[in-house]
Amino acid sequence: MTQETAVIENTTQEAAAKKEWQPTILGILCNWCSYAGADLAGSARLHYPETIRIVRVPCSGRVDPMFVLKGFQKGFDAVIVLGCHPGDCHYAKGNYYARRRIALVKDLLKSLGIPEERFHFEWVSASEGNRFAELVTEMTEKIKKLGPFEGVTP
Amino acid sequence: MSEKIISKDKIKEWIDVLMQSHTVVAPIERKDAPAEFREIKPGDEPIIDGSKSMMPPKDWLLPRYETLFKVSKGAEGAQVEPAVPECKPTVMLGMWLPDAAAIRVLDRVFLDDKFKDPYYAARRENTVLVAVMPAEKRWSWFCNSVDDVETWKDSVDVLMYDLGDKFYVEGISAKGEEIIAGAYFTESNEADTIARNQVWDLFAKCDKLPFAGKALYDNLAWEDPIWAEISQKCLACGMCSYMCPSCSCFDIQDETNGLCTERYRCRDTCQFEDFTLMGAGHNPRNNQLPRSRQRLLHKFKYQHEQFGVVGCTGCGRCVELCPVNVDIRDVLTRTCSKERAEEPVKAD
Amino acid sequence: MSDIENKIQEEAKKALEGGDVSVVIGWGAGSAPFKTTPVFIEKPEDADKLVWNPACVNNLAVYLPKLANDKKVGIVAKPCDIRSMIGLIQEKQIKRENLYIIGLGCAGVVDAFNLDSQDFHLQDVIGLDWTSDGLKVSTTNGDYTLSCSDCLRDMCLVCTKREPAIFDVKLGEAVQPSDIRESLIPELAEERKAYWSEQFSKCIRCYACRQVCPACYCKTCFADRVEPKWTAKKATAEEAWMFHATRMMHIAGRCIGCGECERICPVGIPVAELAREMAQAVKDTYGYEAGDPNQESPVLGQYKEEDFDPAHHGG
Repeated sequence: MTQETAVIENTTQEAAAKKEWQPTILGILCNWCSYAGADLAGSARLHYPETIRIVRVPCSGRVDPMFVLKGFQKGFDAVIVLGCHPGDCHYAKGNYYARRRIALVKDLLKSLGIPEERFHFEWVSASEGNRFAELVTEMTEKIKKLGPFEGVTP
Repeated sequence: MSEKIISKDKIKEWIDVLMQSHTVVAPIERKDAPAEFREIKPGDEPIIDGSKSMMPPKDWLLPRYETLFKVSKGAEGAQVEPAVPECKPTVMLGMWLPDAAAIRVLDRVFLDDKFKDPYYAARRENTVLVAVMPAEKRWSWFCNSVDDVETWKDSVDVLMYDLGDKFYVEGISAKGEEIIAGAYFTESNEADTIARNQVWDLFAKCDKLPFAGKALYDNLAWEDPIWAEISQKCLACGMCSYMCPSCSCFDIQDETNGLCTERYRCRDTCQFEDFTLMGAGHNPRNNQLPRSRQRLLHKFKYQHEQFGVVGCTGCGRCVELCPVNVDIRDVLTRTCSKERAEEPVKAD
Repeated sequence: MSDIENKIQEEAKKALEGGDVSVVIGWGAGSAPFKTTPVFIEKPEDADKLVWNPACVNNLAVYLPKLANDKKVGIVAKPCDIRSMIGLIQEKQIKRENLYIIGLGCAGVVDAFNLDSQDFHLQDVIGLDWTSDGLKVSTTNGDYTLSCSDCLRDMCLVCTKREPAIFDVKLGEAVQPSDIRESLIPELAEERKAYWSEQFSKCIRCYACRQVCPACYCKTCFADRVEPKWTAKKATAEEAWMFHATRMMHIAGRCIGCGECERICPVGIPVAELAREMAQAVKDTYGYEAGDPNQESPVLGQYKEEDFDPAHHGG
């Protein structure tokens, strides 16, 4: 485990306090759809594991591939990028550009041997609070099975 | 000074004995890369005949990345955790003589009485240097053109000469004599001495370049059209100084993670744009021309003025590696071939 | 080969005499017979300094963004160098009308590192030349012939584009090499990670790969930024991973595969191999190839509504 991972583990004390290991997931969410979706999940009092750390961005088109890479480098167990459905972008076409970039990020991670399961990209709208809660639950279960991420250069 | 012979198949035995009392550092081969100086672990196959290209030995003495200290904030306030290494006595094997001569330059910088660097000193002062003269010449060497190589012998403790299936070993200092006292060292005979001289001559008596013997520090001029010519093609990759055995510039950085900060140093080079960039945005060397000039003048002029040594030992790494073939030998040849006006060189 | 060399010199001379080309960038004789160095010819009478031989390895397009902005520049270029220029034109770093391209058909160029550890000593080499059997190396102890796979720059062995895509004058013939190299990178994900960890642990962070890359022309590289600090300067495998992974992302769909990054790496990290995989992924997904003169904008600067959707529709 990298030093940075250790630091993140220590600073996220709620995870350390639990007996069972909980993954830490980086979520990069578009303000207009997915972040609002996450908000809806909260106001609807849906339960989902508290494993996700959310970074709000104005649009999935703002998601620089470096965000994803940095997330893995700093030792997150998984990274999720969520944006508006194609055609629904607040800025008309930001998510179309994001789509191409994210496809290439996936290829790069594959080339570098980072397990595909640890990166997830999906369209989640502002009305899909359910889907957001479901997604975090699914992802947490999946990563629990995989175990902690051993770093980009073990 | 004792002169001995050790057969190549006894080297491993010798190293094993050394490892009981010393940390032994030698070039270890890496995947698709030049061999790198690091501590020998059981099972390693060190290359000590100087036959392979290798990373400069400064990788061990002045690591590419080194923690200076750490600060962490806890319940009792800030805790400073120093990181000066504690070093066992060390033997460095397998570097060739010009690299050892380059360590002499590093010593002037880091072991200065007034500004001693504790990190460097901890590794260096306890280290026995064993240099080796390889049996074959490389095309890029120009050691005997930059300095009197005979004087370099004093910068090592033991000097070995590759004689094919054995090494001719000269103990030069008392520290060196201690480590070549084992039974696997035998007496040398006259034929060995002749062979040794041949290996030495290959290195010391090969053709000299036109600038050899000239006072380079007087010949390199601040105003010279050659700087514009080099800087036009130079890509500022800095490889020449990262791979140079005597370039020692470093950067200091802080990195904070949560409540813990690490201060570390890492390589830097005068070829990078941000090397002289100041906090307020001014950059005294604001284009490649003064940067290209700086490296040459620093090596051949400023270091000579400051320390009385030339900062280049002719190892040829930059000659072989420069992506655009800026050949330091050509530059020196050309700067020394011209008649120059009496013009003082200004400090940069 | 010297025939083409003469023609290059003639064309350069003509271009400079014409008056609108202010400088011709090309290769000149290097400090050893297996090296060449970039030269910048400004006077017609200096045109005889230009050479053409198997050691003309540098991708000279790297100099263009700084030089060809406000004046017309002549450039002697291999097909891969020309593809770099097409990329720079698409990205509006240079204008086509500011270039006078002397394009060359290519047989691949030699990596001087590969000449080391052959049967001859490098200091004995007198000259290099192509023959029908491969590379002829003349030395003071006689001639040696090397096969392509023994001496070519790695990327030349996988190159299939040996004709200049755009040019003002075209010289020489393209030759397709007979031996093709296979990928060195392991297939399995787990092995890949270990492979790249080892490779990146060697990185000394000299940034030479970035400096020689014609696609890396950013005024301030992300790696040099302090705020935010994307990658620390320390030479650890992890920080090197961040640097190289990000650089790969930045040149994805823009790298034309000249392999300069790999050739100059002092510690032999096969970064070009990673770039090649990215280029293949771009080609497979979007049918796009960098350096194609028929494309108008880079692959990540455009989209189609019917694009491949990497989103996972679970649930």
